[in-house]
Amino acid sequence: MNKLWIAAVSALALLNGCASVPQGSIPVVDSGVAVSNNERVSAQRTAGSYPQAAAPRAAQARTITEDSGVVVMIPGGAASVSTPISTQPFTPGPITPGPAAAPISTGSYTPSAPYSAPAPITPSGIPSNSGGLAADEQLDGPVLALLTTAQQQQSSGDLNGAASSLERAQRVAPREPQVLYRLAQVRMAQGDTAQAEQFSRRGLTFASGRPDLQASLWGLIAQAREKQGDAAGAALARQKAKVSL
Amino acid sequence: MTRTRSPRSRSKRPSGGLRPWLGWAIKLSLVGLVVLAGFAVYLDAIVQEKFSGKRWTIPAKVYARPLELFVGQKLSKNDFLTELDALGYRRESVANGPGAAAVNGNTVDLNTRGFQFYEGAEQAQPVRVRFSGDYVAELSSTNGGKLPVVRLEPLLIGGLYPKNLEDRILINIDQVPPFLLETLVTVEDRDFYHHFGVSPKSIARAMWVNTSAGQMRQGGSTLTQQLVKNFYLTNERSLSRKLTEAMMALLLELHYDKREILEAYLNEVFVGQDGQRAVHGFGLASQFFFSQPLAELKLHQVALLVGMVKGPSAYNPRRYPERALVRRNLVLDLLEQQGVATPEQVAAAKKMPLGVTKRGSLADSSFPGFLDLVKRQLREDYRDEDLTEEGLRIFTSFDPILQMKSEAALGETFKRLAGRKGSDEVEAAMVVTNPETGEVQALIGSRAPGYAGFNRALDAVRPIGSLIKPAVYLTALERPSQYTLTSWLSDDPLSIKGADGQVWKPQNYDRRSHGTVFLYQSMMNSYNLGTVRLGQEVGVPNVLKTLARLGVEREFPAFPSMLLGAGALSPMEVATMYQTLANGGFNTPMRGIRSVLTAEGEPLKRYPFQIQQRFDPGSIFLIQNAMQHVMREGTGRSVYNVLPKSLALAGKTGTSNDSRDSWFAGFSQDLLAVVWLGRDDNGKTPFTGATGALQVWTSFMKKADPLPLDMPQPDNIVQAWIDPHTGQGSDAGCPGAVQMPYIRGSEPPAGATCGGQEPATGEAVMDWVKGWLN
Repeated sequence: MNKLWIAAVSALALLNGCASVPQGSIPVVDSGVAVSNNERVSAQRTAGSYPQAAAPRAAQARTITEDSGVVVMIPGGAASVSTPISTQPFTPGPITPGPAAAPISTGSYTPSAPYSAPAPITPSGIPSNSGGLAADEQLDGPVLALLTTAQQQQSSGDLNGAASSLERAQRVAPREPQVLYRLAQVRMAQGDTAQAEQFSRRGLTFASGRPDLQASLWGLIAQAREKQGDAAGAALARQKAKVSL
Repeated sequence: MTRTRSPRSRSKRPSGGLRPWLGWAIKLSLVGLVVLAGFAVYLDAIVQEKFSGKRWTIPAKVYARPLELFVGQKLSKNDFLTELDALGYRRESVANGPGAAAVNGNTVDLNTRGFQFYEGAEQAQPVRVRFSGDYVAELSSTNGGKLPVVRLEPLLIGGLYPKNLEDRILINIDQVPPFLLETLVTVEDRDFYHHFGVSPKSIARAMWVNTSAGQMRQGGSTLTQQLVKNFYLTNERSLSRKLTEAMMALLLELHYDKREILEAYLNEVFVGQDGQRAVHGFGLASQFFFSQPLAELKLHQVALLVGMVKGPSAYNPRRYPERALVRRNLVLDLLEQQGVATPEQVAAAKKMPLGVTKRGSLADSSFPGFLDLVKRQLREDYRDEDLTEEGLRIFTSFDPILQMKSEAALGETFKRLAGRKGSDEVEAAMVVTNPETGEVQALIGSRAPGYAGFNRALDAVRPIGSLIKPAVYLTALERPSQYTLTSWLSDDPLSIKGADGQVWKPQNYDRRSHGTVFLYQSMMNSYNLGTVRLGQEVGVPNVLKTLARLGVEREFPAFPSMLLGAGALSPMEVATMYQTLANGGFNTPMRGIRSVLTAEGEPLKRYPFQIQQRFDPGSIFLIQNAMQHVMREGTGRSVYNVLPKSLALAGKTGTSNDSRDSWFAGFSQDLLAVVWLGRDDNGKTPFTGATGALQVWTSFMKKADPLPLDMPQPDNIVQAWIDPHTGQGSDAGCPGAVQMPYIRGSEPPAGATCGGQEPATGEAVMDWVKGWLN
């Protein structure tokens, strides 16, 4: 009986640890905060009553029609896959981080990362290196800082904020594959498997000579293809992931 | 308003009965009271409804990209200071308080202002930036701690205005600068804190002043009355309106406290006209005249703004600086006299210039071309009312520094080429993007900067000429078993019979044939005959498919003339096409907007970065190599008369028939620019792609100082040493041997050592040499 209790409590603690916001993370949007130094809208008595109903919402559901029959080469792969550009709208709101959103272990960026990631426990069934990066891949100041911010946002369920921070990092270091890798992960967590694959592929074009990262990127491509129902493509990517290592 | 008069007239009418005079009078006044009470209730409803509801509609505000600062960033000190000036940073010897900057040699200390972005709030903080060369060498907090990354607040580049064109930036009464409230009350309504909405004392004084002066000198209106007048009533001048105004003022004071009324006044007051746009409130006025947030204004600026309330057009400091200065100093004197400011403070403030920003400086320029792009993108997602009324904050990728550089490049190049006959009628368009992010950074829709008319960057759809050629050669290079960069290609004359029986005989620009050349040479010299032959071999429909994969959504008929760019595209579409070439074969829908926040600063919508791989990186690597040859030795080579040889660039010239369109599209690692020159009436111009558009492009790149193109070599690419005359494999040590990239397996077999090699001869080579020298 006692043992059962311990197991239950530790399981709960673990779940809680995974779900809770890491210490020191800031809420992304604090609507009480001055919007800018000079523009404060609280003079307008309608705080919170923005009639955002019809138009913007409807717009979010809009789909962008793209030429869908485009043949896409898989880098290094023989198969040609027809992939339409994702038309999925990004729905805001907390999405429970699944395995795809498994947080990167802290040590992977740099040992002195200022945030403490959830306990280094990986969900069962996922190899410990699936979301990891080689320890030697050091990132410098701005990128590390922005990835850290993104990580915090993702942990608190703010996937849009995380994606936005990662795009900011991508503008700072457009050819850093780790940024593209994280962007792919967040897209995956948002359910946009097509873009998750695309960003992984873009990451691969910059990841030459970094086998661990290549393996992770191929692993992500495999997941994305699996979710798209492309079992053969997923198997191929998985093979690539093994070769890379 | 109709109701206001009827009760009044009714109250007069029954005065016919005289006998029970007193009784009637009592009854009458009772009726009058009831009517008045009814009227008051009615007015009260109006007063409360509008004041407690949403008081103002606010146009959407459009912001440029925020400038990011981090160590290692490419940014010159001059560009940084330009940005700071545009943002209204005060230059001080020691940066003190938000919006202040101090420059000491290569170090700039500043106090950022902080801002609410989509990703979260950027705090206001003191920052030290040290520059070394054109890079940020150090970024720290002024107390010494290193900062990884800092974002400045974004420049406000425009708004989306409704029909009545009222614009304002809402401010909170807690955020006003020192002196503003005191000055306003002192100048406009000294009894403000003591009256109940109307001030008999002020009215009496005004009457006294006016009658003794014999003219209207002073109004007796309280701030509350002024607010009521602007807020609820029309500009009509009548006694009944005056009475309604007084009643409403009383009612307003009954329901709301002085601070709320004052805050509403601060936001409602009309302070000037900017073309068709009415500038309301001190928040916007501060940006409009000083490019600074209201909270940062100093005494002399506060005095100027408050002084203008009396007559916004008469005291317009840009139009009548002397008059405005006199008025400002009068206000300052009054402040001293009333004890609001000390004599020292007033003396110091009087020494200050007006401090109004110049029109035409970065802060006061308008960028209609880019705003047009933003508006079109927004209209797909929002209703007009949402854009003009809800105070949305639109965050864009617009880079004001690059915009100014592209405008300068265009202006200077036209000035330099003014000698060419007919150059005056030539119009221009330009699109600048970041190929690594797919974001539009600058856009010119007209030769005249700031002209808000026909947006040629988006709407001038013109034949692209040789800009199509990378699509032709890329189609071939995607078949490495058939084509490599050193495949032989005949540039001999050819004729093509069309479906209608007509025979088409394309010509080279120099009307000569260049014999047999390498594929990349035909591309770099923009040979038409070789290109048409190659295009026929791979098939026109396949070339059009390549064009579609590059991101061009327009449909074209599969005519052979398409191979020479008979199809028409807008500069923006060309940018999309070349972006895919520049970004390793990944296509990105061009974006001008990053995100949208509500007026309250809450995230509303994001325009995410999306990519799609459309080409194998290997074939893109090859076409980029050919496009670099264009710049090094081909039709684009004049670029290196101006730019350093170390700067690797790729691009392509384009000239349509009879030089009606002069195009250049090209990119570095981090910057892509498309330039179009041509006439609106589609007439002939004195420019080819190389003599016109390329000159603008070169001038722009010189100013922008981009990073050299450096595509990582894909795994399926090998570099092989070849003999530059035969294209045969060669030993690295052989004289003249050059390295060329090939898709693995398509490279020529490794050559023997030089001793055993026959000297190259033959017509082809001679032709090629001629082509080289040409």
